Amino acid sequence: MRASDYIEQAWTNLWKKKLRTFLTTGGVVIGIGALVCMFAFGQGVQRNIRDQFNDLELFNYINVYPAHSTGPAGADFDPDSPEGHAPRASAAASQQKVEVLDDEFLGELTQIEGVEAAFPEMRFPAQIRLGDEEQFTLVQVVTAQACRSELVQLRAGAPYAGDEPNEVMVSDSILRRLGVKQPDSAVGREIEVRTIILDFRLASLIRMAFGRGDQRLPISDQRYTFTVVGVIERMGFGGPLPIRSDVFLPPGAARRMRKLVLTGLSDLFRPPEKTAGYSTVTVKVTSTNKVAPVKARLEERGLRTFALMDHMEQMQKGFIIMDMFLLAVGMIGITVASLGIVNTMVMSILERYREIGVMKAVGATDGDVQRIFLVESGLIGLLGGVFGLALAWVVSFVINQVVNGFTAREGVPFIQYFSFPWWLCLGGIGFSVLVSLIAGIYPTRRAARVDPVVALRHD
Amino acid sequence: MNGDGFIQVQDLTKVYSLGSVEVVALRNATLSVDRGQFVGVTGTSGSGKSTLMNLLGGLDRPSSGSIRVDGRRISDLSKAELALFRRHTVGMIFQSFNLVASYSALENVAFPLLFAGVAKKERIHRAAELLHLVGLGARLNHRPTELSGGEQQRVAIARALANRPRILLADEPTGNLDSRTSQQIVRLLADLRAERGLTVVMISHEEALLREFADRMVYLQDGAVVSQETLRGGP
Repeated sequence: MRASDYIEQAWTNLWKKKLRTFLTTGGVVIGIGALVCMFAFGQGVQRNIRDQFNDLELFNYINVYPAHSTGPAGADFDPDSPEGHAPRASAAASQQKVEVLDDEFLGELTQIEGVEAAFPEMRFPAQIRLGDEEQFTLVQVVTAQACRSELVQLRAGAPYAGDEPNEVMVSDSILRRLGVKQPDSAVGREIEVRTIILDFRLASLIRMAFGRGDQRLPISDQRYTFTVVGVIERMGFGGPLPIRSDVFLPPGAARRMRKLVLTGLSDLFRPPEKTAGYSTVTVKVTSTNKVAPVKARLEERGLRTFALMDHMEQMQKGFIIMDMFLLAVGMIGITVASLGIVNTMVMSILERYREIGVMKAVGATDGDVQRIFLVESGLIGLLGGVFGLALAWVVSFVINQVVNGFTAREGVPFIQYFSFPWWLCLGGIGFSVLVSLIAGIYPTRRAARVDPVVALRHD
Repeated sequence: MNGDGFIQVQDLTKVYSLGSVEVVALRNATLSVDRGQFVGVTGTSGSGKSTLMNLLGGLDRPSSGSIRVDGRRISDLSKAELALFRRHTVGMIFQSFNLVASYSALENVAFPLLFAGVAKKERIHRAAELLHLVGLGARLNHRPTELSGGEQQRVAIARALANRPRILLADEPTGNLDSRTSQQIVRLLADLRAERGLTVVMISHEEALLREFADRMVYLQDGAVVSQETLRGGP
C-alpha cells in the first residue's frame, strides 16, 4: 500500500463517523490544549526572567570583596556555596594576597584577560536637599564612563560631562520622594549634598565635652552644591550590578569633598587599615564564559567573589521542577484523551470486523490492516494536536488580555505571560500524534489478528 | 486422473477444536484441478465444502496434508506469503457477498488494488472496466444497499477479478439468490473462465445448477471426497 493511500483511507474512515471523530478529537484537543498552555506559561515565566537578566547582562558581573569584609547583603547570598567564602589555604601562594581594594589593584584588575571594566564601589551617607524637600541616602561615586554605559537608563537630561564637574545624576525614585513628578523639571536644578564629617575643631570638642543639647559625637556636616544633569531609571534590583544608589556623582568631585565613608555601622568597629580602599569592586567580564576563569584568578588573590552565574544552575533546576509540575498536571488531560482514543478505536474495529475480513481475503497482510487503523489513530492525534495548539493559543491570548487589563490599572506595563517557542508547537503536535499512536497499539493489534474465516462467516 | 494438476490437494485434513471437542471438518481429501477447468464441489451441510474453500483460498491452514498451486506448496507459506497469494493468485466470492457497505460499487472493486499498491487513477480505471465487464457499467457509484442481490454478487465477482487472479473460488455464490439470478451468475462465472482463462472452483449444494456448467464434479461427505465425475472435456 502507498503512504498516501493510508492517509486517504484513514481520513475517509474518520470522516464517515464525523460525530465520533469530533468527540474523540475534542478530548485530545482539550488535553493537548491544557498541556501546551501549561508549558507555554512555564516558558513565558522563564523567558521573562531570562530576558531581564540578559538585557542587563547580569550574568557578566562579578562582585569582589576583600577577604575580611562581611560585604553587603548580596555577598552572603548563599552561605553554603564555597564560592561565597574565602578560598582555601591551598590557593596559589605564589601571588600576593590582596588586602585592600585600592586604585592600584583596579589597575591590575583591568589587565586580567576577559575583564572588560572594573567599577569601584564607593558610597557615603549624605543628606540631599532639593528645594524644600530633604532625603537621607547613600551617594555613590560613579565614573562618567560608567554613566554612559548600558547600565544607566536615562529618563531625562544627560550623563555628567566628565569626572570633575560638580554635577549629579539622580534616580527617578528619589525625585518622587523629593516631590518632583516630572523628571525633566529636575534637570538643571541645584541640589545640596550634605556630608557627615568628623569634626575635631576645638569648638566642636568643647561642645561635646560639656554636652550641650544632644550633640554627643565629634560630628559635623559639610554642604556642597551640585547641578542635576540627568535623571536615570532606578534598577528594580541591585544584585551584582555596580549601580545601586539614588544619587551619583563623579569621582573628581567626590575627592574634593570632605566626608565620612561609612556604608554601615559595622564599619565603626573595624581597624582603620581594613576600612581603607573600596568596599566592593564590580568587575564586568566580556562574556559569561569568562566568569569562571576571572573568578578563579581573583580568589587566588585571597578575595571573595559573588557572581549570579553561580546561581544559574539552581535557577535552571527550579525551572525544570516547574516544567515537571506543569507537565504532570497537563498529563492528566492527555491520559483521559488517550483512553478516549482506545475506546474509539476498539469500537471502530468491532464495527468493521467483517470489513477487516474482506481486507484480508483480498490480500491485505496483518501489517496492512494494523497500519490502516494506526494511521487513523495517528490522524486523530494530528488533528487533536493542531487544534489543541490553536486552543492553547486562544486561551492564553484571552488570559493575557484579561490579566494585563487588571494590572494595567496598577501601572504595570504589558507583560506577555505565555511563550510559544517553535519546539513547543512542534513538540505539542508530535506528542499528540505519539500518544495517539501508543493508544492505538492495542486496538490495532486486535484488528491485525482478526481471523478472516471467522469474520467472513455468513451469519 | 490425466491433466496438468494445476491445483493439487493431497490428504488434506482440517481439525477444529471447539472447546474440548475436536471436530474433523476435512478428512484426507485428495483432488486435482486442471488449468482452466470449472470444478463444482457439492455435498450436504457440514460436509466440509467451506473448509475446503478457505484452505484453497489461503484464508486458513490445514492440520495436515498439502495444497499445491502451480507446483507451489501454499500450505507451507508464512502468514505474509499467504496474504500475497490471496492478493495475486486467487479471487474469492462468498454467499453473503461481503461487500463493504459504506463503499460504492466502484470503491469495492478497487479495494483489492489498494493493497497491491496500484495508483489511485489506475484503480478507478480498472474497477470501472471490471464493472462494465460484469454488466454494471451504469451502477458504478451505487452502494451495496442500493443494488439487488444479483448485482451485489456481480460487484463481488468484479472485485475478485481486480488483481487478475488465475483462480476464482466461489463459496455458495448463489445461496442468497433466486433461481433465475443464480443461473445468470453461474453463467457469468463460466463465461469469465472461458474469456480470461480462469480456473474456477465453485461450491454449491445446488447440484443441478453445477452440473449445467461444471467440467467436473467433486462430491464431499463428512469431510471426505466420496466421488468425482468428469462431465465434459473443458474449454
